Amino acid sequence: MDLNEENKNGKPIIDIEHIAKIYQMGSEFVHAIRDITLKIYKNDYLAIMGPSGSGKSTLMNIIGCLDTPTKGKYLFKDMDVSEMTDNDLASIRNKEIGFVFQTFNLLARSSSLKNVELPLIYAGVGKSERDDRAMKAMENVGLADRVNHKPNELSGGQRQRVAIARALVTEPSIILADEPTGNLDSKTGLEIMNLFNELWKAGNTIIVVTHEEEVARFAKRIIKLRDGLIENDSFNHHQRITNDTSTTSSVTNQ
Amino acid sequence: MKLSEISENIKIAFEAMSVNKLRSLLASLGVVIGISFVILMGWVLSGLDQALEDTFNIIGTDMLYIDKWDWAGGRNWKKVRQRKNITYNQATEFCEKIKNAELAIPNAREFGYRIKYKNEEFQGMTFIGTKWEHSLTPAGATFIGRHFTQFEDDIGSNVIVLGYKVNQALMVEGDPLGQYVKIEGRKFLVIGVIKKQGTMLFDFVDNQCFMPIKSFQSVFGKSGRSVSIAIKAGSINNLDEVRAESEGLMRQIRNIKPGEENDFSINETKAFESTVEVLRLSVWSVGIGMTVLSFLVGIIGIMNIMFVSVTERTKEIGIRKAVGAKKRTIWMQFIIEAAILSFVGAIIAFIGCSALVYLVATFLPKFVPETAFLSPVLPYELLLIASFVSIFVGMLAGLIPAVRGANLDPVEALRREN
Repeated sequence: MDLNEENKNGKPIIDIEHIAKIYQMGSEFVHAIRDITLKIYKNDYLAIMGPSGSGKSTLMNIIGCLDTPTKGKYLFKDMDVSEMTDNDLASIRNKEIGFVFQTFNLLARSSSLKNVELPLIYAGVGKSERDDRAMKAMENVGLADRVNHKPNELSGGQRQRVAIARALVTEPSIILADEPTGNLDSKTGLEIMNLFNELWKAGNTIIVVTHEEEVARFAKRIIKLRDGLIENDSFNHHQRITNDTSTTSSVTNQ
Repeated sequence: MKLSEISENIKIAFEAMSVNKLRSLLASLGVVIGISFVILMGWVLSGLDQALEDTFNIIGTDMLYIDKWDWAGGRNWKKVRQRKNITYNQATEFCEKIKNAELAIPNAREFGYRIKYKNEEFQGMTFIGTKWEHSLTPAGATFIGRHFTQFEDDIGSNVIVLGYKVNQALMVEGDPLGQYVKIEGRKFLVIGVIKKQGTMLFDFVDNQCFMPIKSFQSVFGKSGRSVSIAIKAGSINNLDEVRAESEGLMRQIRNIKPGEENDFSINETKAFESTVEVLRLSVWSVGIGMTVLSFLVGIIGIMNIMFVSVTERTKEIGIRKAVGAKKRTIWMQFIIEAAILSFVGAIIAFIGCSALVYLVATFLPKFVPETAFLSPVLPYELLLIASFVSIFVGMLAGLIPAVRGANLDPVEALRREN
């Protein structure tokens, strides 16, 4: 059962050992994560599942370097994240992690191209290269003709694809998606999951946090959390890999 | 700090301000007022400086004036009053004996006399009896006509050179040259008018009329007044040497024993600086309090609006942090926004003050002549000062809100709804 022992593509990108996260709320201590050990390898497609309160958001925040564990060790590409300063964490987030959020989290006043460029600005990439790379990322998600639209001029699915383009633009080691279909209707949600599938097949490492079976089914590996512990970590033998060209083309041509 | 981050931050600041135009304007109102005070104060002070410099140029920066009286007025008034007059003979002796000076001329002076022209009579004129060499000093340059000649000086002709304001008052129309004026019942031929010299602060020079010293003595008497001596050193570098010689020579002429104090003063244009210093100080003391107060209001205004801005954009801060913005970047973003907000306030103040200053300097002197020293154009240095001060004030005001924004926890910030 233990996929952590299986060494597939050499060293893991993410190597989490016995981490815990404890919050203090007033005089009470809340154990959001009790003890989790987890290895994630290149080109993994991982779904993290669990009911609310299971610690999946906290785990996602820690994996995404938005937060640090209270206890335990987190190595990201052999770098010890638990010891890092805020600036180092920001730098890891910038270069190594692409976030996709449930509520898209785009800057409302900026065009979609500017939104996609944002991580490159913080990476110090020059204007012309920035434009090129952002444009390419927009093409990859099938929105080349929407670069000058602002988020409120786009549909939900389009917004999420802009967010995915923003996550892709720095060519990160992992793409971390938190309920990426949670604010979308089922058809659009399916399109987004197909897009993730394409990205995975192109060699990307994807982590999706979700409570929906429908979404988790696309992943290669499913982790179930309960009460801050891993309840189950297994291969998804029924991975849904759509090669439905009609859906794919609608994703890339819309 | 990367250039792309800075230019991005400047763009963000302008975007944020354009979204809330009215709010931004109100927030920078304190700065607008504060900068206006700074600009107006600088304007008045630079006008004073210019007036002072003009006066220096008239009196001559290389001139010394030996006098019973002390221009600076700082010394014991009683003591100065008890000094013996400098007699005409002493002055003449001095002028003959001095070696290093380019020129030395005795000036006898009477205040408060009348001058008659046709049926008009004017009071409060100052008459100065001097030598023809007066025409060689900056104060003796004529505007029309000429100064008196050495010959007229020698024989004591009844000729007179009018001060600019005297001429204006007497000769409302027509050519003053060749006209006769009456002083103490004697007729004088007007041969010239001295150039306008006084700035409005020092306009007494334009009330002076000059005549040969012999003619002066025949009108006002030979003795009973203290004669002053105008000395032209030739250059500023020569001033120290001439001053030293003058002091020695004058002490010798007036028989002052070694160790005794001088019973005369050697005045220079520097003495006027103290007069202006008093004015400058009063402008400052009035202005600085109001400036500080309005900047305080300005800082609070901007700080307040920056706190609002940080709160409103918590989500945005979260997003930016998630995609890799460092604390420093967020911090810079808000500092730059506050600085630009304040800077825009300064620009508004500068434009407003430019208009005000133009109107005031154009129209006020017509009603209040003493204000004519004010320039209708703001010195460009004031724009630089206003810019720097406003940017500094803005950064100061933005500091605490910016740090608060930068220190937001990204997880918390992302959870916000706005």
